[in-house]
Amino acid sequence: MRRLIIIIAAALLVTVRPQTPPPIVLNSMIPGDVNVTATTVSIDTFQPDFDNYSWNTFIALNWPPGSDGNGDPSKKIGQNGDNDTVWEHYRDVSNIFLPGGAKPTWNGPVQIPDVCKSLNKGNLEVVTQIGKNLLTPTVVSAMSQPFNTGPLIDQNGVFTRFQIVVNKTMFDYILANSLYSKAGQKVFTPPVNFTSGSIDNNGKTLVEGAIMVKAAWKVIAPADKARFHSEDVLVYSPASANPKYPARCTLKTVGLVGMHIGHKTQSAPQWLWSTFEHVDNVPTDADVKSGKLKAKYNYYDPKCKTCPVNQIPPRPWDPTKISAFHSQIVRMNQFNLPIYANSAAARNATAQQLLRGVNPKSVWANYQLISTMWPTDPKQPFGAPAPTFLANTTLETYIQGMVPNVSSNCIECHNNATITVPVPSDFTYVLQRAQ
Amino acid sequence: MTRAIPPSIPILDSDIQDFADMSAALTGFQSSVLKPALDPVGLAREYYIFAVTQVGGTAMTTLLNAYRAIKAQTARQIADTLLETSGSSPSPQAQLAQSIVAMWYLGAWYVPGVLGGGGFAPPPLQVISSAAYTNGLVWRVMQSHPMGYSPFTFGYWSQVPAPLSSFGVNTGNGGGQ
Amino acid sequence: MSANTPKYDVVIVGAGVSGNLIAKEIGLAGKKVLILEAGLPVPDSREEYMENFYLALAKTPESPYPALAGRQGSQVNPVGELPKPATLPTPRATVLSLGQSPETSYLVQQEPFNELHKNDPNPPPPQNPPTDENGNVRGLQFSSTFERNGGGTSWHWLGTSLRELENDIRLKTKYGHGEDWSLTYSELQELWALAEKEIGVSASVAQQEPLEVVGLKYPPGYQYPMQAIPMSMVDQAVSSGVAGLQVPGMLDGQDDTLYDVFVTPTPAGRNSEPYDDRRVCAGNTNCIPICPIQAKWDPTVTLGKALDTGNVTVSYQSVAYNVAIDGQSATRVDYYEWSRDAGGNISKVSKSVSAKVYVLACHAIENAKLLLLSNNWKGIANTSDQVGRNLMDHPLYLTWALAPQPIFGYRGPLATSGIESLRDGEFRKYRSSFRMEIGNEGWNFSKGDPYTTTMDFIQGTNNSNVNPPPGGSGQPVRLGGLKLVEQLNNIFTRQFRIGCMFDQSPLAENRVTLDLDKETGKPNHVDGLGLPRPKVEYGLDPYTMEGFRMAAYVCSKVYERMGAMEFTTNGGGGVGDFTYKGVNYHYYGAGHVVGTHRMGDKPKASVVDASQRSHDVQNLWIVGSGSFPTVCTANPTLTLMGLAFKSAKSILAALGS
Repeated sequence: MRRLIIIIAAALLVTVRPQTPPPIVLNSMIPGDVNVTATTVSIDTFQPDFDNYSWNTFIALNWPPGSDGNGDPSKKIGQNGDNDTVWEHYRDVSNIFLPGGAKPTWNGPVQIPDVCKSLNKGNLEVVTQIGKNLLTPTVVSAMSQPFNTGPLIDQNGVFTRFQIVVNKTMFDYILANSLYSKAGQKVFTPPVNFTSGSIDNNGKTLVEGAIMVKAAWKVIAPADKARFHSEDVLVYSPASANPKYPARCTLKTVGLVGMHIGHKTQSAPQWLWSTFEHVDNVPTDADVKSGKLKAKYNYYDPKCKTCPVNQIPPRPWDPTKISAFHSQIVRMNQFNLPIYANSAAARNATAQQLLRGVNPKSVWANYQLISTMWPTDPKQPFGAPAPTFLANTTLETYIQGMVPNVSSNCIECHNNATITVPVPSDFTYVLQRAQ
Repeated sequence: MTRAIPPSIPILDSDIQDFADMSAALTGFQSSVLKPALDPVGLAREYYIFAVTQVGGTAMTTLLNAYRAIKAQTARQIADTLLETSGSSPSPQAQLAQSIVAMWYLGAWYVPGVLGGGGFAPPPLQVISSAAYTNGLVWRVMQSHPMGYSPFTFGYWSQVPAPLSSFGVNTGNGGGQ
Repeated sequence: MSANTPKYDVVIVGAGVSGNLIAKEIGLAGKKVLILEAGLPVPDSREEYMENFYLALAKTPESPYPALAGRQGSQVNPVGELPKPATLPTPRATVLSLGQSPETSYLVQQEPFNELHKNDPNPPPPQNPPTDENGNVRGLQFSSTFERNGGGTSWHWLGTSLRELENDIRLKTKYGHGEDWSLTYSELQELWALAEKEIGVSASVAQQEPLEVVGLKYPPGYQYPMQAIPMSMVDQAVSSGVAGLQVPGMLDGQDDTLYDVFVTPTPAGRNSEPYDDRRVCAGNTNCIPICPIQAKWDPTVTLGKALDTGNVTVSYQSVAYNVAIDGQSATRVDYYEWSRDAGGNISKVSKSVSAKVYVLACHAIENAKLLLLSNNWKGIANTSDQVGRNLMDHPLYLTWALAPQPIFGYRGPLATSGIESLRDGEFRKYRSSFRMEIGNEGWNFSKGDPYTTTMDFIQGTNNSNVNPPPGGSGQPVRLGGLKLVEQLNNIFTRQFRIGCMFDQSPLAENRVTLDLDKETGKPNHVDGLGLPRPKVEYGLDPYTMEGFRMAAYVCSKVYERMGAMEFTTNGGGGVGDFTYKGVNYHYYGAGHVVGTHRMGDKPKASVVDASQRSHDVQNLWIVGSGSFPTVCTANPTLTLMGLAFKSAKSILAALGS
């Protein structure tokens, strides 16, 4: 059996160790790759290792940063309830792919749109509305989906906002290869090959690897801050010709409701995909059918019996106005095997307990892993991903089915990503934004 | 889309493994392709259950036993024997084996013994599931992908595809594994 | 706003290519538009359509789209269980119902010989329809199909976005055949540029330059929106195979000019770069019937933009059945709003809507039907008597072969190149010309592969003709295991096909009418809403059929030159079978339905003008490929969208904006 493991592990490009360190740790070290500790080979035994990896990554990315941008080991995540995070000091894509293809910097001043300038008081972030598809007239979305699927609108008629950042490793590759501009991309010699993260035989990170984070933010009332990781940001809507509305900028408190983490690692040429949601987002389909509903959700009104479920808002979509239409979202089951939900539930319980152990009021205990997608056979182009479908209800709201090549599958969709000329972009849509 | 299993028919993991190994010999593919250790789709299980609901537990068990009796032989011998390729008129058991090959290749259930005519294949009873369609082996046989499900990237069609051996075909002369 | 002021500036019937484009243009100009769409709404995602496709027993163009009677594939006999048009609110022509009786076929048309005799105790040998004294073959089936749903038929267009040739639009002046168009080539060039931008067409003008010789011209410096789609391995094999090949214009000497045969890449409405927030083509080889990732443009893209204006509303499940006329003006559209319960019972409510301008954009056949239904089935906008007449398609002649070496079909978009170099010449005085589409899908279209050949080698049959009994006698082989893999690999990697599409003649007797009893005036067949069904009369003339003869010759020369073995077979007595000069041919429908409300300068001989505005009814536009006076040699979608831009402009002028 051991020989079988090693043969298969070799094919899998992961390092398998017989000892079992604590699976989820409160540590600021970002895992360089999954640490497979399973001693038998099956999805049932491997999925927990990937889910542990996801939680360890989530914890490390949300760790309070030190002056060098890395997690500060002298602090603990959530020790004061909420905290600034490492990933929020990563570079936002709107500050990498600049007008005219200008050369970006990792730490330099950020672009503040004109309409925001009067509101900006120093350090505020700018979070644009993406609505899962095309945003501004000049920039291509990093999240092209079949069907121009629409925005996610909360119970107050306000659009959910999205943000994409990349870590220094990923940024450095973009910079070094001039992939930040159309002109640079045109003369680039393929393939695009972001740095792969890796770990040593003891599970310690050797190389961080390229990481990209896509975050979904909801405007919240200051009174609700205790339940969310939140920030005060400039919520920006660029002007639009069709539908027609002017640029707008407002200062708002936003709460994190969804977080995608994409990580290129040695074991996963197709990347590892972890997705987290706020625990109050939506009921599951099973919850609705059994009537087991909470009093309040971020994107579901339990009192409305006639609201159409998971329906796209009617066009035109105008983020500068309060919408009469509120999204009524339910999490549909996309898992063909019980392990995915069971493993995530077990890991969520462990992680949330650990986080509350730091501070019972830790906002981070209000987040849950939905699942981790990983390639079971990296030799195949799609990598035979497990699970076969995975969606975050805030980010792939309207494709929660189980239809191959259409329903949400991180790897299948990102496999189609290219740069601005038809060269595959190594599973990221950010490079399409080059101007 | 999974069918309900009639409660009277037991589904044993060992039967599914034998079914997969037998299918590997019949189809010419590696067993690790049809039923990998890490198996997100679970096609062998889905196909086994589907076939049993179509032909009944007895017919399937009889076929599996015929396979077990010769499983030490080469894949080629197993295929020729169970499919009765040198005979003039395949028995109902061989026709079941044919339908199993067709199921793996085309993702659909063809009623055993029903032939095509008029220039075309017989109509299948049913496409087993979307996953069955997108995992059909015939597309690997032609070094391509199912129509409607491409894992390749722009421009691949202007280049020669990867060799057949990279598509999971069992080119060795080993047993059904 | 008084009760007499219409709420809408424009009412459009049909949410397809033309309807959505015109709605967008009108909406962008700040005017109010209502689209009446007969069928179901555009779904929120294409999951349902893709699942329909994956599970379909027969992967026809219609297979993803709502059948309203259960998903195809749940029965043993897919044809036997087809939904009956009399029970459906929006039945339409489908591939599976071709050649069936009106009980199953929405279009009422002549059934072929084999169908009529299939239940005979001793069926006679198959026969093709006779040739009449003018050399015409009548009583043929019109084989193209269409959809009636949000987005329309072009959900399943291939994406081919060729421009017409200079002589295509002046066939009558130049060659004394057919009709001339009412636009100039340079005006069309402007309209094509607009359409190419809307769709997102990938091509390179430099690669099209060799076709100047057949009259394909671009304005200097013109650039397509995106770079060209690369040629497939199959294209490359055909291209090198035909190097140096020349063929005469006519086989019997009337045109001895030798025409070069060469391959050029096909401009296509599919992304070669991220465009319009849609992905780059991944070669899903599924353009027809549906692109899973929307790398190929479809009309729902434009519909989205129309809705974004905030000035466009769509009323789905709204079947127009009457356009009311008062003198020379249309005054309202009457329509049924229908719904259907779980048991399939249809209920309908009759409603009306008025506007300043009315646009019929519901497909060449449905436009004709609606015009003929109007005014108590006496028809409107038809002083020319041309409504429904001159029905044309590009009849498609399919040939297929095995290449001597693997050329790896079943990869890439369904077609990426063609032989366009035979589309024009002196011969057009005598016969239809044709383009040759090189297929990338092996024998999928030709023989239902890979299913047919796979089952042949598993079951020991020879439906594909590639599994003949060894030595010519006995039984075909049966294979398993690696032997099966190797044999199938050998066959499938060498399969390819060429489809020839002819600019068939406009004939007054090829027409769409209402299927009414001559004596009682009552409909012989109705749909689920009680509306009369369209009757189609169709046939081919010698001009068109001589084109087939030439095409068969050219294909055989191409295959011969490539060292390929041809497997084309044509039968008798079935849908699309006919005989010409003693040889059997078979045509498919290309899905290019044109001619039924043709444009022209003379109101007595045409239905609409160059802007697709009715000659008879001043505020009625009748748009789509139905306006084409000839079918020309390019696939029609690009041109019909170009015409829609022109119509939108004229509508806005009429609205006084």
